Amino acid sequence: MADTTMSPPGTGGSAAGARPSLFLRNATGLVKAWSTFDAFVYAFWSVNLITLGLYGMSFVYTVPDGQLLVAILLFGVLTTFLVITYAMLVSVMPRTGGDYAWQSRVLGGGLGFVLSITGWWFTLFLWAPIYANILNAQFFLPLAYTLGWSNVATFFTSASGLFISCLIVLAFVSVVVTLGMETYARIQKICFWIGLVGLAVVCGLLLFASQSDFHSAFNREAASLFGASGDAYQKTIDAGTKAGYAPHDFGFFSLGPVFLLLPWLAFYLLWPNWGATLYGEVRGAKDIRKPFWSMFWGLWVTIAMVAVVMILVVKTMGWQFYNAANAAFYAGTAPVGTWPYPVMFAGWLVDSHLFQALLIVVMGLWFFGWAGTLFLSSTRVIFAAAFDRVLPAWAANISAKRRVPYGSLVLMIVPSIIISAIYSYVPKFQSVFLDATAVLAVTFLATVVAAIILPWRRKDLYDASPIARYKVAGIPTITVVAVITAIFLLFMLYEWSFNSSNLYGTAFQSTLNSVYYFLATYVVAIVIYVVARIVRKNQGIDLARIHHEIPVE
Amino acid sequence: MPRIFFATDLHGSETCWRKFLNAAKFYEADILICGGDMTGKAIIPIIEENGHFTYTLGGDPQVVAAAEVVEVETQIRRKGYYPLRVSPTRLAELDQNAEVRGDVFRQVMLEGVKRWMELADEKLGGTGVRVFVCPGNDDEFEVDDVIRSSKLVELGEGRLIDIAGFTMISTGWANPTPWNTHREESEERLSERIEAMASQIKDLSRAIFNLHTPPYRSGLDEAPAIDADLRLLHGGRALRPVGSKAVRDAIDRYQPMLSLHGHVHEGKGAVTLGKTLCINPGSAYEEGMLMAAIVNLDAAKGVKSYQLVNG
Repeated sequence: MADTTMSPPGTGGSAAGARPSLFLRNATGLVKAWSTFDAFVYAFWSVNLITLGLYGMSFVYTVPDGQLLVAILLFGVLTTFLVITYAMLVSVMPRTGGDYAWQSRVLGGGLGFVLSITGWWFTLFLWAPIYANILNAQFFLPLAYTLGWSNVATFFTSASGLFISCLIVLAFVSVVVTLGMETYARIQKICFWIGLVGLAVVCGLLLFASQSDFHSAFNREAASLFGASGDAYQKTIDAGTKAGYAPHDFGFFSLGPVFLLLPWLAFYLLWPNWGATLYGEVRGAKDIRKPFWSMFWGLWVTIAMVAVVMILVVKTMGWQFYNAANAAFYAGTAPVGTWPYPVMFAGWLVDSHLFQALLIVVMGLWFFGWAGTLFLSSTRVIFAAAFDRVLPAWAANISAKRRVPYGSLVLMIVPSIIISAIYSYVPKFQSVFLDATAVLAVTFLATVVAAIILPWRRKDLYDASPIARYKVAGIPTITVVAVITAIFLLFMLYEWSFNSSNLYGTAFQSTLNSVYYFLATYVVAIVIYVVARIVRKNQGIDLARIHHEIPVE
Repeated sequence: MPRIFFATDLHGSETCWRKFLNAAKFYEADILICGGDMTGKAIIPIIEENGHFTYTLGGDPQVVAAAEVVEVETQIRRKGYYPLRVSPTRLAELDQNAEVRGDVFRQVMLEGVKRWMELADEKLGGTGVRVFVCPGNDDEFEVDDVIRSSKLVELGEGRLIDIAGFTMISTGWANPTPWNTHREESEERLSERIEAMASQIKDLSRAIFNLHTPPYRSGLDEAPAIDADLRLLHGGRALRPVGSKAVRDAIDRYQPMLSLHGHVHEGKGAVTLGKTLCINPGSAYEEGMLMAAIVNLDAAKGVKSYQLVNG
């Protein structure tokens, strides 16, 4: 019932002095455009600078000669093509289900189901433990250490502690889904503004302190909270170097290593389109500018912020210390035995544990304003597959009273609990989780391929869309930008899968468990589709015809 | 046994209407049901000036020669808008005078519906396919008369209709919306309207409710939340149930075997409320995509199977 209107309902369409280009009558659904800022907040959370961002960048020490700022800028430029591709797809087919709907309609129902369901359903199981890891590293552990609750800290470093964190994440996500997006959107906005204030405090502390101030503060708190003796700052650098980190100046530039940083940055910067699966609920999405600008600014504001934060980290903590601290932590040899959380370190510049704890809590809002949407897109994809009768109808069931999508929640939560237990108690499977980014990139790639061929494969839809008039040298713009995006994604997929030194911990030759796991997910997806086709055929339903276009003439 | 093809909320899209009619052959359907809101929401003026014509269709203004205007009009109709050739003077009059604008809207809408009825006669006359239309809350009352004059298309509003041994009741009336459209009334009045038809059905296990508005809190009625100024809240992600409590009560009480709905384009889905399968196929008329439901009926089982399609 909802449409976007170019002029107030029931009036002519003219602005003062301009000719009207359409006349609208009073009809249901003629609403005014949604706020780009609201959608921006969602995209901004999806490329979360603090949670995913700081966590992802704790691995850049593995490419010590890569210039981080150049890599971030390059990633931003290349991801902008992804943003344009998705904004154009939203404009052509603003349907709930996003990747699933686009892939199904362009590539075919079976292929669309297998590729999107593996990414947005099966792989999202893996993200629950990743979120829990971040919750531990950025909230529970630093808070417990700061408040001197060593038993609590010890518990959360154990397998059971990690599993409990996973359960907390899943419970939080379930509550958010139950509350509904309207309530959570309000929570997100509160978290957004308070989180920004917290970030400003962190930046202020780093800006006005010198490296020697930080050196002293680090040694003081390392001794006070972790019992580290002597010059813990220097010992951290030494431990990092011993762990294999080869120090380079922050300003060092070499083109090749810049590209090697991109797959690490994908961990947080590849997701400005995370909300694209929801745009079907926004009729205003038909206007390409809204989804484009919301995703674009979500991406680039984050890039600007991460640049500022990293420059301040380099200025006050030191680039070699930052990288060495991460290298030493992952080697298990750091004098400060917790993940090197820059926010916690910045808090140490103020000699007050109460202030430090408060800063960690405030910055924790970056987690709680973000984590609630973990399964939101997944539930939409499951809905879309259930409506297409590929999944059973109960998968899209909603409870009558609270409107909780319990069918899709069960399909997400139950496997996530099992996967979380495996992650927590079977360490040899942890390489599987490093592939979580890569599998989503495969899903994006399939969507991008759909975008490349859309103008020919679904000419009717494309010609009827507002983007049909955008061409580059006679070639549809969506095809051009999607080809660039595909090359970008293929490069990263190649590096994740075949990097000869297993830089990202995901190379096929070193992580056979991951290969088997993900092959299994694709096989399961194929089996579900084939079984669905057989079962539905017996019910007189031909799944192949869902997306067949009826002739117009 | 009969196969129903149900689509709704075509909102003036001629592409969707043509697909709707062709769906009978394409899906081997015996009965076509259009759930309401047939008429478009906007007029696109094509301004005739100095021998050329200017129009704007989702982008920058385009200027075409007289020979191209017919093709432009076809394009506009296919997207669900009404083309209207006007002089600059007439354009200014339409812009300034709401009464004149209302008259013109009514005229182009009724002409559009008349053309659709003729198309239906032309395409499906003599095939044995039955076509039902039940105007929705966005359709003006005069639309009913145009449908009644059709040789083939049957008007559903307010009637009990026998479909191969199944009984269908229909109404396009809706509970109040922020837009104050043509067929809106209080939940109480809507309840009485449905009751008047439903109470006459002899076998509810073989009954079909064709009610434009979806049942309240069914998941088929979730629309983006808006504020008092009709502005979408929270980036359009916040959804609220906007369906009818009267429709929900009627389904809960009478438990027909099938209930067909539209009205909320974003509410695509199928849910079971007690014994009743409720379907809202959604609408993507602007894209020229016909979202629809195919329902296979069975004398013994009632609803044998269903499928939502994007044709």
